[in-house]
Formats: sequence, C-alpha cells, structure tokens
Amino acid sequence: MFIRASSMISFQPTFRNPGFSGRLSPLGKQSSLITPSYENIPLLDRRRMSTVLKMGITCSMDCLEQAPFQDPDAIIVGTSMGCRTQTRNFFDNVLEAKDGPISPTPFIFSTHNSVAAQVSMRLQNYSYNMTHTHGTLSFEHALLDSILGLSEGFKNVLVGGADELEPTLYNMPARVGRDDLTVAIGAGFFLLSAGSAEGRPTLVDVACNGLIDSVAELIAEFVKKNSLSFEEIDLVLYAGGKQTHKELSLLFHVGKLVDYEAFSGTWFTNSCFGLAFAVDVLTVEDHPVYGNCRNILICNNVLSENLGLVLLTRS
Amino acid sequence: VTSIGIVSPIGLDAGENFKSLALGRGGIRLSAVYNVMTGDVTLSNEQIVRQLDLPASDYSRTTLLALIAAREAWGGSKHDPLIRTGLISATSIGGLDRSEKSYIERRLKGLEGTSKELVHDIASTTDAVARDIGIKGCISTISTACSSGANSIMYGARLMQNNLLDRALVGGSDPLVRYSVEGFRALGIYDPEVCKPFDARRKGLNLGEGSAFMVLENEHSISRSGRKPICKLTGWNNSADAFHQTSSSADGKGAWLSIIKALEKARIQPTQVDYINAHGTGTRNNDISESKAFIKVFGRDMAPFSSTKGFIGHTLAAAGAIEAVFSVMAIQTQSVLPNLHFETPIEDTGLQPAVKLERRSIEHVLSTSFGFGGNCTSLVFSKVK
Repeated sequence: MFIRASSMISFQPTFRNPGFSGRLSPLGKQSSLITPSYENIPLLDRRRMSTVLKMGITCSMDCLEQAPFQDPDAIIVGTSMGCRTQTRNFFDNVLEAKDGPISPTPFIFSTHNSVAAQVSMRLQNYSYNMTHTHGTLSFEHALLDSILGLSEGFKNVLVGGADELEPTLYNMPARVGRDDLTVAIGAGFFLLSAGSAEGRPTLVDVACNGLIDSVAELIAEFVKKNSLSFEEIDLVLYAGGKQTHKELSLLFHVGKLVDYEAFSGTWFTNSCFGLAFAVDVLTVEDHPVYGNCRNILICNNVLSENLGLVLLTRS
Repeated sequence: VTSIGIVSPIGLDAGENFKSLALGRGGIRLSAVYNVMTGDVTLSNEQIVRQLDLPASDYSRTTLLALIAAREAWGGSKHDPLIRTGLISATSIGGLDRSEKSYIERRLKGLEGTSKELVHDIASTTDAVARDIGIKGCISTISTACSSGANSIMYGARLMQNNLLDRALVGGSDPLVRYSVEGFRALGIYDPEVCKPFDARRKGLNLGEGSAFMVLENEHSISRSGRKPICKLTGWNNSADAFHQTSSSADGKGAWLSIIKALEKARIQPTQVDYINAHGTGTRNNDISESKAFIKVFGRDMAPFSSTKGFIGHTLAAAGAIEAVFSVMAIQTQSVLPNLHFETPIEDTGLQPAVKLERRSIEHVLSTSFGFGGNCTSLVFSKVK
C-alpha cells in the first residue's frame, strides 16, 4: 500500500507546502498553530466547530483534492482527546445556565468521532467510519485499522490523526512527565491506496505496543519482522525526548536520529506529523537535509509506556 | 465467543442479568441526583473498590465498571505466551467523571488554570483494565459514541481474522455522569417515564450505565486454552449514515447498509436470522429510522426482535457491548429477549417487538448499534454447529 496524498496542519508551515521537511526549525515559546483559511468550511460551521474539527476536515479535503479522489472505502481517525474544547464549552453552559435552556450544540460536537463523522457527511460517504482513541497510540491504531481494511479488499482509505488542547480539563504535560515540553496541536491526514505508485512512499508496516517493557527489544523485533537490518534504516524520526534518544542510540547511529517532536511539539497524536514529515522527505529528490533516504522508521514514544512504530520506504 | 461478563442496572453478573431479562424486571428509576429516569448500577465506587479488592481508590467509574465485567469475562482464562492476546475497550466518558468533578469544583471556587487530573484521556481506563488483567501489546480504545461497544468487538475480531491476535478481550464501559445527563437533557429527548422502544407513544430515551466484555478466541487459542465456545461471531459491518451529527436519516440508510453487509459477511440470508437485538433507544427519530431499515432488509414478516433498553436505559458506549452479550445469551439460552413497555405499534411500520421471553430455536442473532455522527454497526452471532 502507498501514500497517495498527505496533508498536515501544525505549528510548522506544513500545510500545502511540499518540501517543508527541509525548512523546519525547532519550536520556540512563541510558536502557535499556523492556521489556514478553512475556506472549505461554511462560516457558520467555522464559528461553532472546535479547532480539531476544522483542522481534520480541512486536511481531509486537501488530501482528497491533491489525489484527486472523492470516494474512499473508509474514513479512519485517531484522536486522543476528540473535541475537548466543546466538552468544556458545554460544561460552562451548564454551569452558567441556572434553570434556563442550554444549547446542545457543543455537546453534539463533543463526541470523539465528530471529525470522521463530519468528513463522511461532507463527502456523502457511507463506508466504514472509525475513530480510535487510545492515547498516544490513537493514530497508529487508525493506521493499523487502515492496513486491515486494505488487506480485506478496500482500495483507498482516508486516515488521519488530530488533537486539540484543553488544559482546564486535563493536565497533559504532567501525564507525559518530561521536562521542557512544547505543548502543541495539529492534524495530519493521508490517503492510503492499495498497490504502489512511482514516486509515492510505500507504507510497509505499523505496530502498536501498549504497556511496553523495552523500546529496544520491540524495535529489534519490528525491524527483523520486516527483513531489514538497523543499517538499512536511513532515518529514525522519534518522539519521546532524551530517554527515547538514549534507547535508540543503542540500536542506530546517532546521526540517523531526528527528534520530530522538537518540530511538531507534544500532543498525543503527533506521530501523524512524523508520518507527514517522512512522506515529505521521501517525495523530495536529493533532499537538502536528509539526502535520498530509502527506509524511514517513525518511533512514537511520547508516553514512555507506549511505543508506536511505522515503517515507510521509497517506492 | 468463549465467555462473557456484564454489569448493568439489572444485575452485577451474567446470571443476574439474564434472570432479570427473563422475569421482565427493569432497572430504570427516578434518579435522586439528576432528577430524570436513569438506569444505575447499584454499587457505589467505594463498594466496587472493596468488592474487587483494588489497591487504590482513585479510579474513574468507567474503569471500575469495566473491571467488574472484564474480570468476569476473563474468568479462568490463563496467560499463555503462545496465545497472542489483545484488549479492545470502548468508552465515551473515560476519566471524564473525575475531571468534570474537579472542573466544576474549581470553577465554583472561581479558580481557573490547569487541571490536576491525569486520567481524563479515555485510554487511561482501558490501560487500567489491561494492567489488572495482565494484557500488554495490542491494547486499544474505540470511541464512536453509541456504537463504540460494537465497534470494539468488531475491531478485535478483525485483528484476529488478519492473524495479528489469537484471543481478544473486547467490550466497553460507560458510567452515568453529569456531562451526558445534561447533554441529552439539552437535546430534549428524555422520556419522563421508563422508555418505550418501538411504541407509537414513545417519548425518548433514558440513560443508563454499565459495562460488558467477552473473550473471542480463534481455533488455535481454543486448542491451547481448552475453552468451549458459547457461540461464534460470524458477521460484522460498520457503515456511515452520512446524514446528520445526531439524527438518523429517515430511511435508515446507514443502518440498512450495516445490516445487509454484516449478514453478507456471516454468509446468511435475512430469513435465517432468528432474533434481532435492536438499538431501539425509544426516541422518535431512532426507532422509526431503524424500523424502516429493518423492513427494507427483512420485509414486514421479520424475525422476533426487541430492544432491551427498557430494562437498562441507553448505556452509550457500553450499549453495543452489553447488547452483544445479551445476543450471546439469546443463543446460549435459546430465547428471544423481551422489549419492555411496548403496547402500540408505530402506525407507519406496524412492527411488533417480542414482549415476553420466549424459548425457541435460535441459530443466528443480529445486534444493531447506532451512534452520533451516523455511526452504524451490526454484529451477527451464530450457534456453534
């Protein structure tokens, strides 16, 4: 299966900007979401929808426009928190309303599957529609579900990761437990298609490991399962900070290790940024920073207890 | 399916649940906390912590309910390095019961700022179950509103069919929380009395809480575990209604698609279905839309069907899992389960659900679950030949 199109909204200039992977600089304290115009979303919806929904819909539509393709066999989304700002809005409405009527709008848009659902409605798409919400492995499970679908006969799957922030309800940095995190948000969507295509990266394999014992052992197993050696992996894009870097440096030459989280910031589905980054590197000829990579491993260790692995190769 | 576990407003284990279903004994009462009719599990958090002998007490109720059902379903299953085992759980609430409490407290005190809560993310409740049972590796959470529980069962089955797992503990859990109670109040779809699914005079739904899990095993797993299958999960499908964030389409297109494709997957004809456990929330919109989908698939001469929501209310993300367990019970006991409080058929459709427990030969059972965003899932369970 190959990645026919990808679209990413983040704190970096990733949206509709091929070659962005060569022009990234680490995030600073002042970094914020680079918001596109959301021109595909009607004004009324733009006002009432939370950021995660707007990002998710916009990336989905952009992916399909790029392909161009309008009729995926599945829409699969990974999101750890869903539309949490709507959750907070609805709470606030309830607490402020006393005995008066309360608008149900934030409530109905607060379900975790709102992004996948709204995309299906915009496309009039009646096919498989799924939302995986397993914390830092949400996006990897969405990818795994896509791979299952393609092996079951789907031809094209629209898959993405998206998250927004609601610090009043949940203390994400404390949960991650690492120093100097740059908390961020974003969405990345991909059109996965069966077969292969010249110049488009092949998605080789995905692994979702929850409650892990050892990063190194699981990576060794994954690389071996895919008949590769550590030397054959040209680039390892990782998230997880210093501890993850330490573990990876036992397996790989440190020159191959790139901390994608330094560019994306920390959110639970930021491995979709890792994937968009890898796709960009693999589609640029003679990449100015990373050269002509063949195999890229994305290693998501954002929460130390979970390990998501994604393997991509140049076609 | 080699074992089941369930906790609901009508019982704290599978035996109690079936007994209540057989006796027509519902569990929906006027809630003193929320002043609406709800289906409550009759144990407090403290009672569950004591009953399960848990090491700490600061669990989300989602986790506590899930632990009761997951432990019952897991039962005597043994860990075996040669049986690749996963856990897939569904919830829409996760740790929100705890974060809503802390948020409301902080707001009432006029405090803003960051929450101290670390368990809000809904995966945390699945991880707590995984740690308790001792499952590592393939652990996931699915949240597609009111079809979540059915989708977690389907995802587990697909991981097994694609040879990534041999065994899966699958199900879901949702507690009653202020958030969902106020949400459905704002939508104005509560029945002030006990809900009356598929009745012409139905006024709306009641919320409930609970959890259900089941163990799915493939041939290899059964050959090592020595467990006897209760029945087989033979068909599944998820389709989108692509109509509206909260309403079902008038003709139930998504529901219809999910039913015909699940039957196709099970390789059976509509006439071979012996019982249908319907979604049947009791809202004006769901029941007519679902009835239209049934008529389109089965004609007017369809198999006995019922919604069991008159017993326990709508348990949201747990509903699909709870009703899948009820479907397994229908095969296990060869009975059609009753639909409470039905009197008058909807004029447009004339469909009459089963109102009493009826023993009859049951080979195939269909279970339907529909969620916000038009998320429609159907499962087919079949008798082992």
